Amino acid sequence: METSSSLSFLLTIPLLAVVISWVIPKALQRIYAIFGSALILALTVYETSGILFSSTTEAAKAYFVDQRLEWVSELGLSAGFRLDGVSAWFLVLSALTTLVAFYLRGIWYRKQPRLFVSMGFFLLFALNSAFLATDLITFYLSYEAVFIPMIFMVGVWGENQKASAVFRFFLMSFAGSILMLVAMFQLMSMHHAATGQWSSHLPDILKVVANVPVESLLWPGAGFLLAFAIKVPLVPFHGWLKEVYVNAPMPGTIWMSAILSKLGVVGVIRFVLPLFPAVIKEYQGALLAVSAVSVIYAALLAIRSNEGKTLLAYSSISHLGFVMLGLFSLSSEGSNAGVLLSVGHAVTSGMLFYLLHQVEERSGNLDLTTSKGLATAYPVLFSGLFIAVLASVSLPGTLNFGGEFLVLLNAYRASALCTILAALGVILGAVYMLRFFQRLGLGKTGTANPVDVLVKKDLSLADLLMVVLLVGIVIYGGINPGIFMKG
Amino acid sequence: MTAFEPWMLLVVSILVFCIGLLGLILRKNLLVMLMSIELMLNAVNLCFVTFSKMHQLLDGHLTVLFVMTVAAAESAVGLGLVIAMFRNLRSVDSDQIQLLRD
Amino acid sequence: MITSMILFPLAGFVINGAWSLWSARNGTRVSPRVSGSIATTAMVAAFMAAIMARAQIPATGSIEVDCFRWFSLGSLSVDFKLRLDALSSIFTLVITGVGAMIHLYSVSYMEEDEAAGKYFAYLNLFCFMMLNLVLGGTLPQVFLGWEGVGLASYLLIGFWYREEANVAAGQKAFIMNRIGDLGFLIAMFIGYKYSGSLDLTTVEKVILPAGVGTSFVLLIFLACTGKSAQLPLFTWLPDAMAGPTPVSALIHAATMVTSGVYLLARLSPVISQSATGMAVIAGIGAATALITAIIACFQRDIKKVLAYSTVSQLGFMFAACGVGAFGAGVFHVMTHAFFKALLFLAAGSVIHGLHGEQDIFKMGGLKKKLPVTFWTFTAGWAAILGLPPFSGFFSKDEILHQALVSNSGSAWLFGVLLIAAVLTAFYMTRLYRLVFFGTPRMDQAKFDHAHESPVPMALPLVLLGVLSLAGGFAGEPVHLAHPESALSTPTWVIMIVSVIAAAIGATIAFRRYSVSEVKAEPTSDVFRIDAVYSKLFGGGLGVIASASQWLEERVVQGMIRMVAAVTDLSGNMIRVLQVGSAQAYLLMMIIALVVMVFYFMKGVV
Repeated sequence: METSSSLSFLLTIPLLAVVISWVIPKALQRIYAIFGSALILALTVYETSGILFSSTTEAAKAYFVDQRLEWVSELGLSAGFRLDGVSAWFLVLSALTTLVAFYLRGIWYRKQPRLFVSMGFFLLFALNSAFLATDLITFYLSYEAVFIPMIFMVGVWGENQKASAVFRFFLMSFAGSILMLVAMFQLMSMHHAATGQWSSHLPDILKVVANVPVESLLWPGAGFLLAFAIKVPLVPFHGWLKEVYVNAPMPGTIWMSAILSKLGVVGVIRFVLPLFPAVIKEYQGALLAVSAVSVIYAALLAIRSNEGKTLLAYSSISHLGFVMLGLFSLSSEGSNAGVLLSVGHAVTSGMLFYLLHQVEERSGNLDLTTSKGLATAYPVLFSGLFIAVLASVSLPGTLNFGGEFLVLLNAYRASALCTILAALGVILGAVYMLRFFQRLGLGKTGTANPVDVLVKKDLSLADLLMVVLLVGIVIYGGINPGIFMKG
Repeated sequence: MTAFEPWMLLVVSILVFCIGLLGLILRKNLLVMLMSIELMLNAVNLCFVTFSKMHQLLDGHLTVLFVMTVAAAESAVGLGLVIAMFRNLRSVDSDQIQLLRD
Repeated sequence: MITSMILFPLAGFVINGAWSLWSARNGTRVSPRVSGSIATTAMVAAFMAAIMARAQIPATGSIEVDCFRWFSLGSLSVDFKLRLDALSSIFTLVITGVGAMIHLYSVSYMEEDEAAGKYFAYLNLFCFMMLNLVLGGTLPQVFLGWEGVGLASYLLIGFWYREEANVAAGQKAFIMNRIGDLGFLIAMFIGYKYSGSLDLTTVEKVILPAGVGTSFVLLIFLACTGKSAQLPLFTWLPDAMAGPTPVSALIHAATMVTSGVYLLARLSPVISQSATGMAVIAGIGAATALITAIIACFQRDIKKVLAYSTVSQLGFMFAACGVGAFGAGVFHVMTHAFFKALLFLAAGSVIHGLHGEQDIFKMGGLKKKLPVTFWTFTAGWAAILGLPPFSGFFSKDEILHQALVSNSGSAWLFGVLLIAAVLTAFYMTRLYRLVFFGTPRMDQAKFDHAHESPVPMALPLVLLGVLSLAGGFAGEPVHLAHPESALSTPTWVIMIVSVIAAAIGATIAFRRYSVSEVKAEPTSDVFRIDAVYSKLFGGGLGVIASASQWLEERVVQGMIRMVAAVTDLSGNMIRVLQVGSAQAYLLMMIIALVVMVFYFMKGVV
């Protein structure tokens, strides 16, 4: 599996799944999607197992793969991919997230299921390609390709204000990625100026950039950073997020929160940190501050939210603020901790949204202004939700704790003040997550519910299986978080 | 046989081209506009032939043959389109055909 | 042996948890007796293991068991390891011993409850986490226990979650604890920064620069004020009485709330480096002891009196730690665990006997009706007052003595603690007198129905009664844990003074409440601390959150609207050019062509 064929394999399998989905009958689409994504997950784990399960980073390095395909070599256009300790986990995560998203039942399997499933697999392809890319143009194309399925998701199966949501999503993300594209062209022309040849391959550009003065790297760096700050998002570039999360169908929300936000994380790890170390170093204080403010500000908004999905949307921003804090601590430990926390956030938020969908199916809405007291009627569902809530508040023993703890530990060495500020988010996190759980699950039953809300079935066995899988990852990661840190 | 200097031919070519261009811009009848395009093409052809004669090369002649073939095909397609439009819209006035707007 | 000690409660938790989830899904009920027996067996087994492990500890030093590598990153590696020494051994014995008794008591107490399986699962989870806290060999592991007991406490306070008030109390406890946990986290970062490790054995010995040392101590103490309910974070503990009474006995009296003392004692070498930090600890401890003792005198709810009393006693322990007498503090943890657990369980027995009545002004004359409860409660009462030879006498006198004579002690500290001791005697005697003596102040029917608790509830009472009586003689082994503050036999003067103080408080209370018609006193918050907090923090947080909401709606969303407006506007402007006439486009094309030709030919011609 050390050969580079594994990379092409990982990329072509989702594409193949897209093609096959067009010949599968509508009634079988869900089964196909679940088995297909489970198979892809299994294959991804198998293909990357050398990296995933080696005991140390050093041992994992033997399995890292670099691949470069020439495309239009005169213009320096090539496709470059790299499988390493960071991308391996994100590949697994994207497959897992796809499985979770496909697992949900809902309108998307009744209205144009074929389009839904094929878009899901296409999204997986685009994500994998973006996570693996080591070539500027490849990365840009994959990064933009992710939009297509997402716009379909929101546009076709979205809720009430989907048009406005799609518009904002497109506008904000596109504004960012256009700047990134300009920055890429700048970098490529720097390479051309230095060597006389065009190249968009990251290792080539890295060699050149090392000799470029900091001042001329400022704007390209800002372009990249802005694109990722919108994607992640960091405050104050998060304006698009709430409306998109709330109006997207639940699988779309799962994809967005669990894995699309990680595009920004991977982008920073793979491109921003190696390409612009001096620039980042110079503005490290500001970047740390922005991350810390994201944590606090989003947590405050979450406290004020009166709708389940909105609250989780803001909590996502808050958690990703922690991740960015880790990355901007500018140590390999900080980056590793950020990856760990990203994995934790992906699994946890996938689980939260998954269970939230189950709650919504039973209660009809996710209004948090009145207590619903649903836990009495659905004990298993709410036990699962509670574990997800605990993971989300980073209780020790869950996957998120290791990440958050190590992020803060490393950030503390970079800036004590920002770390303490961000650590306040730990308290605020408890405030809003407990309130979230209390309003949905606890209190008197039936005060705000129509009668039939309490008589539906508790979690089905199939759903329970998925929850057990996710809880298993959360607990296992709490006991052995080292497995996620191979960067 | 030296009645025509090359420059004369070029002037004629330019004049014909400009007439075609003006016709294309100013006339509203689609048929006339098509004819104007033919004029412009022929002006170019004349230019090619003239230069070909001046430089004693055959390239110009060859190109002209190509252009004429393509022009014939083009006017066939163009006429077909105009007829289709007339059938649908009962008009061949370009001012009334603004489907691209809005 | 140590590993099995923590695995027993974990196994109990997993079995009971899985069982009750499964039966909840199928709509069946878990038998309280069976699940209670499983949980109790697990705790008894853990207690046996604790005793055996105790025997294995070398005279000086500790046993360490490396379980597995928890996480490692760069130069940091954190093992999951258990470390048993004299100090943690005392705590394990208290946790498993008192824990086992309270589990036994609960079997009977929770018999009627339909969610008993869940209850026992949570109780076992709590014991597992508490053992992690005291056995943890690294700071993150202690933190795991620290947050874990907070979780168990949240779950058990809000155990009857259909009542909003209970849930709110649980949330309050969790969030106030989290404020403290923030201190713990940052203290860990400081410890790591200066010692390069998170191992307790390393961090214990680290020498911090003066300013950093003080902030380290204050941060650790912040964590303690959260978990051990000291000023300013104590207001969650009285609310925590919303949980079942055995929970109050185990978590909110005997074990969890004393973990702050454990942490200070564990880190005592670092803590004692900072004189300022120590002074703050002593001052806050004494202030808490006094203030909450005053509040306790104004409570009507039997459990609330005991809750404030717990806070006050914890104040005594912290005052002891603050003057460097960590041994005395730990000793008081132990005796307090005995007698306060006893008092709570006896109170539970009273509540159980009266079918849920908690107002002491609606009790009275229960001495005859509940003889076992009465006599065991008497033992607890005597112990908390500090009457010789009851256990509280030894530990409390030790604290008073140290507060006066140790290097950092002072007459002020001693005086404050002495007044607190008088008040303790007053409110405890008030409670004792109102519940068990005099004429019944309830319906005759209710009084007639009052009944003594069954054997599983009475047995722990008797056992704890014996321990409250004799536990003080176990003082010596405790001090082995902290030889630097070896037991100094209290001088006769202080002994007599403290006994007289207790006697004064008790006599006043006895006389005041011995009138035939006791006037019901209103409950009072006295200092209105809780109200001020909810105004200050609840309101403050509300204001900040509203401000960020405003910012979000006006500025951030406005920014998006602006971007949208700009694109819209520019689109509309360019749209003017799109007239739709092919000839107009052609004209534009030609003009552009001409311009371009002129532009590029400029240099040529």
